[in-house]
Amino acid sequence: MTEQKTEKRSIYRMLVEYDRRIIYLFIFVLILAPLMQPFSLPIQVSPGTMTYYNVLNGLKKDDVVLVVFDTEFSGYMEIQSGILASIKMMFEHEVKVAIAVAHPEATGIPQLVFDQLKGVMDQHHYIYGQNYINLGYIFPNSASVASTAQDFHSIVRQDAYGRSIEGTFLDNVNTWKDWTLISVYTTGIQSGSIINHYGLRGTPIIVNCIGVMISTQQPYLSSGIYKALLESMRGGAELEYLTSSPGPGLTAMNSFTLGHYMLIIAIILGNIGYFGYRSEMSRKAKEER
Amino acid sequence: MDIIEVSIVGVGAFLAICMFTTLYGKSNPLYALAEESYIGFGTGLTIVINLLFIYKTGILGIQAGDWLLSFGIILGIMVLARIVPKYSYIARVPIAIAIGAQFGLALRTEIFTGFLDQIRSTIFPLLTGDAMTLLNRWTIALSVIFMLSFFFYTTELKGPLRWSARIGEYAMYVAFGGIFAQTFMGRLSLFVGFMQNYTVPPWKIPYLLGSLIIVFAAVIILDRAKLLEKLTPEE
Repeated sequence: MTEQKTEKRSIYRMLVEYDRRIIYLFIFVLILAPLMQPFSLPIQVSPGTMTYYNVLNGLKKDDVVLVVFDTEFSGYMEIQSGILASIKMMFEHEVKVAIAVAHPEATGIPQLVFDQLKGVMDQHHYIYGQNYINLGYIFPNSASVASTAQDFHSIVRQDAYGRSIEGTFLDNVNTWKDWTLISVYTTGIQSGSIINHYGLRGTPIIVNCIGVMISTQQPYLSSGIYKALLESMRGGAELEYLTSSPGPGLTAMNSFTLGHYMLIIAIILGNIGYFGYRSEMSRKAKEER
Repeated sequence: MDIIEVSIVGVGAFLAICMFTTLYGKSNPLYALAEESYIGFGTGLTIVINLLFIYKTGILGIQAGDWLLSFGIILGIMVLARIVPKYSYIARVPIAIAIGAQFGLALRTEIFTGFLDQIRSTIFPLLTGDAMTLLNRWTIALSVIFMLSFFFYTTELKGPLRWSARIGEYAMYVAFGGIFAQTFMGRLSLFVGFMQNYTVPPWKIPYLLGSLIIVFAAVIILDRAKLLEKLTPEE
């Protein structure tokens, strides 16, 4: 009889001591399945994304925007929806875009973006040097960020392909004052330096950061240094939704939602197992006494 | 799609799945292969890109007549003295200058962005605005006070101070929960982003699934044959 009881209760023990690799396997399947067979779940736009959208929507033709890829390649995977949707908006508003890179791994990203947005660029007659430019890796440390804020041409003389930047739209850019907006896509490498040397002086900054950075970036939004903050891939999906241009963000949201359901279920099961097993043990101890 | 794109996707998917074998819980040669490949690639890329940066900003700058930049190049060369133990002390000079400059740059600005502006942003009108704004502002203001009282280490926490600290402690638990959820969202986004890169467009899916099956089968077979740890190179 007692043995039977123990057998029955052992479900709690199983919930406490199960192999964690089962969770990894479930996450793999839950993420992969919706990507292979997409379906549609509802999405809501958060106020933060709306503010970000409004800042980009307020750009006027020939405004000069500095886009900074402050990310490793792994981070790009997470924020590519925000990057594509934001830069697409910039091209649609026909602003002049200079792309700077702050990590060696991000040096390949500008070309990926140009390739994916070729249609919009052709539609708005974007010409290299006149309307957009790829400056490459110019922000390896805070000293370089500080220098460009004071005298841009003192350290930036060539673009990413080794061509002189003389004669491009950057002739009119000399200090931090000459940028209409700085749009940073970050995993947190040089974002602090950009805040310190551009944001503090008054250049408007908007940021799209990876999920683990949101809580550390929020204070800069509250203090007004950031004009807007786009949160991770979710923010990117919301921006895609607002601009009616479905892309990687919206298609990833199903996997995202299922992953979160999985976590909630795991937390509930884990707690049931923990409390069930604890009460089982105390009951057992009482019986033994 | 051309052969180069296919090989990039094939090798990328295989090495990435090899990286995920760390979740199996045992050291294995496939993970070591992916790890070493990444370190090698990362180091090579960093060296090339940084040399290009030195050329574009330093060498071209000197050629353009900015002679002050030559001091930077000299200091950079002095760092290389670390390679020779006898003259390694020379490297201390540029390192000291770099630390000093970095410290100066950060200190001058961080005091505003990281400290004063943050305090200023918690000072706002508590009696004007709509109900939701008021709720948010009161929550922030009270949470800051309660949490700060939790960190009074030199006073015995009793009476109202004890309650304030207790409320601050619970407010922190709520914040930790929020941060944990946000961290999970962040990690999941990275993973979803990776998976998406190998499932869109759909011609990439067979390479991802093929890599998954091959790597998973290899790890299980090696584990059964007790070869996993034997074949893993030592660190």
